[in-house]
Amino acid sequence: MENKLSVRDLTISFRTSNGKVQAVRGINFDLAKGETLSIVGESGSGKSVTSKAILGILAGNAIIEGGEIIYDGKDLLKISEDEFHKIRGDKIAMIFQDPMSSLNPIVKIGRQLTEAMILKGKARQKESRVTFNSYLKMLNEAMNAATNESNTAEIAEKCKKFDTFERKHIVLEAEYNAAHEAAVEAIEDIDGLVFEMSKNAVKDAAYRVKKIAQLANASINDYVVKAKAEKLKSLTSALTSQAGSLKKAGADYTSAMQQLGEISDILKEAVAFEMPNFFAMGYYLTFSGEAALPDMPVSELNGFLHRELDEKFMLDFINNAKQGIEYSAERAYEGKANAIKALREKLPVFEEESLDAEKCKAAAKELEAVVNTAIDPLEIVKDSLTHTFNSGLKNEIEVYFTAIGKNKVEQTKHDRVQAKYDKQVAAGKAPDWKVPAAQITNLELVKENIQRQIKRLADHLEESLAGRASRDYDAETIAVIDFLKENASGIVNKVTPRIAKSKAIKLMEEVGISEPRKRFNQYPFEFSGGMRQRIVIAIALAANPDILICDEPTTALDVTIQSQILELINKLKRERKLSVIFITHDLGVVANMADKIAVMYAGKIVEYGTSEDVFYHAAHPYTWALLSSMPDLDTNEKLEAIPGTPPNMIYPPVGDAFAARNKYAMKIDFERQPPMFKISDTHSAATWLLHPDAPKVEPPKIILDRIARMKAKRGDTDVK
Amino acid sequence: MSSNETLLKVEHLCQYFGFNKAVDDVNFEIKKGEVFGLVGESGCGKTTTGRSIIKLYDITSGNIYFKGIRIAAGTLGYKKAIADAKAEYKEKLAAAKDEAEKKRLSDELNKIIADNKEKLKAAEYDRKNCDREYSDELVKKVKEKYEPQLANASAELKAEYANELRKAKHTKLVTQIQMIFQDPIASLDPRMTVREIIAEGLIIQGERNQKVIDEKVYEMLELVGLVREHAGRYPHEFSGGQRQRIGVARAIIMNPDLIIADEPVSALDVSIQAQVINLLNDLRHRFGLTILFIAHDLSVVKYFSDRIGVMYFGKMVELATSDELFKHPLHPYTRSLLSAIPMPDPVYEKTRKRIAYNPLAEHDYTTDKPTFREVAPGHFVQCNDAEFAKYQEMMKE
Repeated sequence: MENKLSVRDLTISFRTSNGKVQAVRGINFDLAKGETLSIVGESGSGKSVTSKAILGILAGNAIIEGGEIIYDGKDLLKISEDEFHKIRGDKIAMIFQDPMSSLNPIVKIGRQLTEAMILKGKARQKESRVTFNSYLKMLNEAMNAATNESNTAEIAEKCKKFDTFERKHIVLEAEYNAAHEAAVEAIEDIDGLVFEMSKNAVKDAAYRVKKIAQLANASINDYVVKAKAEKLKSLTSALTSQAGSLKKAGADYTSAMQQLGEISDILKEAVAFEMPNFFAMGYYLTFSGEAALPDMPVSELNGFLHRELDEKFMLDFINNAKQGIEYSAERAYEGKANAIKALREKLPVFEEESLDAEKCKAAAKELEAVVNTAIDPLEIVKDSLTHTFNSGLKNEIEVYFTAIGKNKVEQTKHDRVQAKYDKQVAAGKAPDWKVPAAQITNLELVKENIQRQIKRLADHLEESLAGRASRDYDAETIAVIDFLKENASGIVNKVTPRIAKSKAIKLMEEVGISEPRKRFNQYPFEFSGGMRQRIVIAIALAANPDILICDEPTTALDVTIQSQILELINKLKRERKLSVIFITHDLGVVANMADKIAVMYAGKIVEYGTSEDVFYHAAHPYTWALLSSMPDLDTNEKLEAIPGTPPNMIYPPVGDAFAARNKYAMKIDFERQPPMFKISDTHSAATWLLHPDAPKVEPPKIILDRIARMKAKRGDTDVK
Repeated sequence: MSSNETLLKVEHLCQYFGFNKAVDDVNFEIKKGEVFGLVGESGCGKTTTGRSIIKLYDITSGNIYFKGIRIAAGTLGYKKAIADAKAEYKEKLAAAKDEAEKKRLSDELNKIIADNKEKLKAAEYDRKNCDREYSDELVKKVKEKYEPQLANASAELKAEYANELRKAKHTKLVTQIQMIFQDPIASLDPRMTVREIIAEGLIIQGERNQKVIDEKVYEMLELVGLVREHAGRYPHEFSGGQRQRIGVARAIIMNPDLIIADEPVSALDVSIQAQVINLLNDLRHRFGLTILFIAHDLSVVKYFSDRIGVMYFGKMVELATSDELFKHPLHPYTRSLLSAIPMPDPVYEKTRKRIAYNPLAEHDYTTDKPTFREVAPGHFVQCNDAEFAKYQEMMKE
């Protein structure tokens, strides 16, 4: 499965008046497309901090000590705020615990839903245009190079053609979309108005009639309302002329209703038409030399246009494009082979006892040039590791050399304070203050980090080289054309307030809000808790994100509503192939949701596995404690509460952070931190109990009993 | 665990806020020593019921008896009865044929009005004076105990007598009911030390002896799993679970007969929840506390309660012992509620079907209005005749 998001060695601290609180201490996880990862832990375990880091909304006193969050070829910890604006809410969206505090109380729901769509719409249009142009240019260059520059002019001509008719396609489709949307909205408005007229309870009849007439006129387009355009025009003008008479109380609506019905019929018929293939039509209208389209039904027309396009242009273009893509990939492979060699050669520079600034910088510069050649500019799914390597390396080197200076300053400062303290003690006084520890950066660790980055990239490139033989360039070419078309349609789909509204209403229906049209104009306080959470989800989905982060979305809700919201999130995830990060303190609710579960304690992931792994084969004493401290419907015995409270993370324990509350703790738990022990391919846990030399410990009886009981209840026995 | 003595009796309790019927005709009894769970979704009136019992609201109609004494009584029912009677008799009087009949009818009407006015007065009297009568009773007891010895008593005994007398005078019946609130942060005054918070009730009750107060506070702290040193600290220095323990200590220092626990664990982490539930369980067994446990987490309610009442939109729809309720849920709302409970089992969860509850589709109450009836011994359901028969069929299976 395609990895959407990777978190590596993420470490975050918070500066507070009492000292540095270590909130997240080196966590790792991957999130695949269409997968739900659930992060479970107590308050203060660092689960929310992790999610906030992913979204780039950490509090001001947060220090990111290290690690990376890789998404779409970028390291989210290193990109600028401007770049983050393009991702936050757009690609990665978040649902918070309290729906009321994430909605504006004095703005109508509809406005809140459409606001972001309209703002983002403009930005996206611009971005799509840029991507389209630059990508086409790169493709053009690759095509030239593939053919040894033999017929540059011809290829340039082809690209120019593609660009030109694509523009035509954009214009045509935009016109069609506008007319189509107008027709759809007019139909809906007419339905509402006719219903109210039949009940004799109309408000603003004149205004609404005029608006409908406007919309209906706007729907006249070559491919929407064409044949009956004249009739429609006469109907709407008749309608507007009598709008004034509708204002009076007790007005007679019969003729207006009849006219509205006729308009509605015409529009309904028009809306049902098949959409023409504008891509092919754009080509035909631009290059065939014919001024008008042949007169035939849409389905036949589509076939005809498609054939025209394929024969005269597309097949040839695809062929050329394929050559270009193949050429570009081959060159990238050469680059990769070179890069591997260079990386391995330069590694010793970073392995010396103390690094030399000049040498390191020179090596980094050389590596930058080589690694850049290993990137295929035409690949659509970006190779994150290669993309982030250069900035990461530079950054680490910078950290290393600035730390040398800083460490010196820190040390002298510390020595000075220490001397003062010693002097006071020697003078027989007992000072009421302590000497703060010097904040020395561990240079060895930074160095190791640099080496690891280099080694990792080399390994990664080797892996990619190994997959060289199995590439399917035909499929990739189609993907490239689709990518171009998708970006082009990004330019077409202009988001006007009207379109945003119809989109918002569709979304509200999708998240299960009844009467969305009425609800659209209400304020948040008019909604119940569960409905508000649905609205928040709809807002989060408005930008069509890749990743949805849910931070305790159901904690404030009661059982039935919780169950409904969970079902909704599950449904949306399936339908939209969303990747979900689901944060909760209640293991009970995630059984249904999660594909993978990460149990966090004191800033570390202590157990990581699939949902089945964690519920049926839990290995960490903290997971056991969580599972046995919640009652289920058959629990009668005393609950196994976890004694004590989580440790103070200003002074994290030397050994396992859970040791003090753990009744299975061994001596080593207080002395050394356990590494992640691998239990199976999907399952691992950080506890010394998994060490081969450790005594064998069974999970608590209460858990084993429950598993057996649930098994009996399910009536099956074949759980692995 | 529970005896047969009824500690709290709620009769036809109605609590209206304007047109909003937050609680509508709710009946139940709590026996001494049992834990009575009250569940339902947010806004169903379970918290309002709890608050009505502790007299945070003046109830609209119905009666609440605590230890056999009426502590709250609504008046709307009687007023309505008078108005109804007036309307009814107005028609009858108009239709009356001769003077004699008219006289008979108006006498009847006057009697009904007088009866209801009597009841209305009694209700208002009880509402206002139940505490005073209770403390008068206590004062009498104290006097009876000390008076014989007073004639030649030492100064010490006299002081003790004065102290007891003052305490008796200040005692209110409602202080025998104590409440634990949902939010352990909002329910503790941030500017009071833990000692002050826990001792406040005692001081209001008239205890003046600082030594006695301190001793009691320490005892309570140790009882709820905190230590003496905590007495001098402020609430913000404690974690959520510890704060809830302070709330519990504050409640039990008054030596209450009934504790109303309003979602005491909903705001806590799962691991801390278990600590607080275990604590309440311990205390209950040690002191024979009676608890009205209000919550929406059904697993917790099931674990903790002897009997459970399910509420839906201000009405109690089902009431049974907790095992019975989970084994034979009868009312469709109860069944929908039970089907929504998440289980810690992924395979089971993936096949779980939630039952939706739509009152309009489930019940036909157009002709036959529902009432709260006993379908099986100790198992009550809100139903009409047809449903009653159906539920009894279901019980037999």
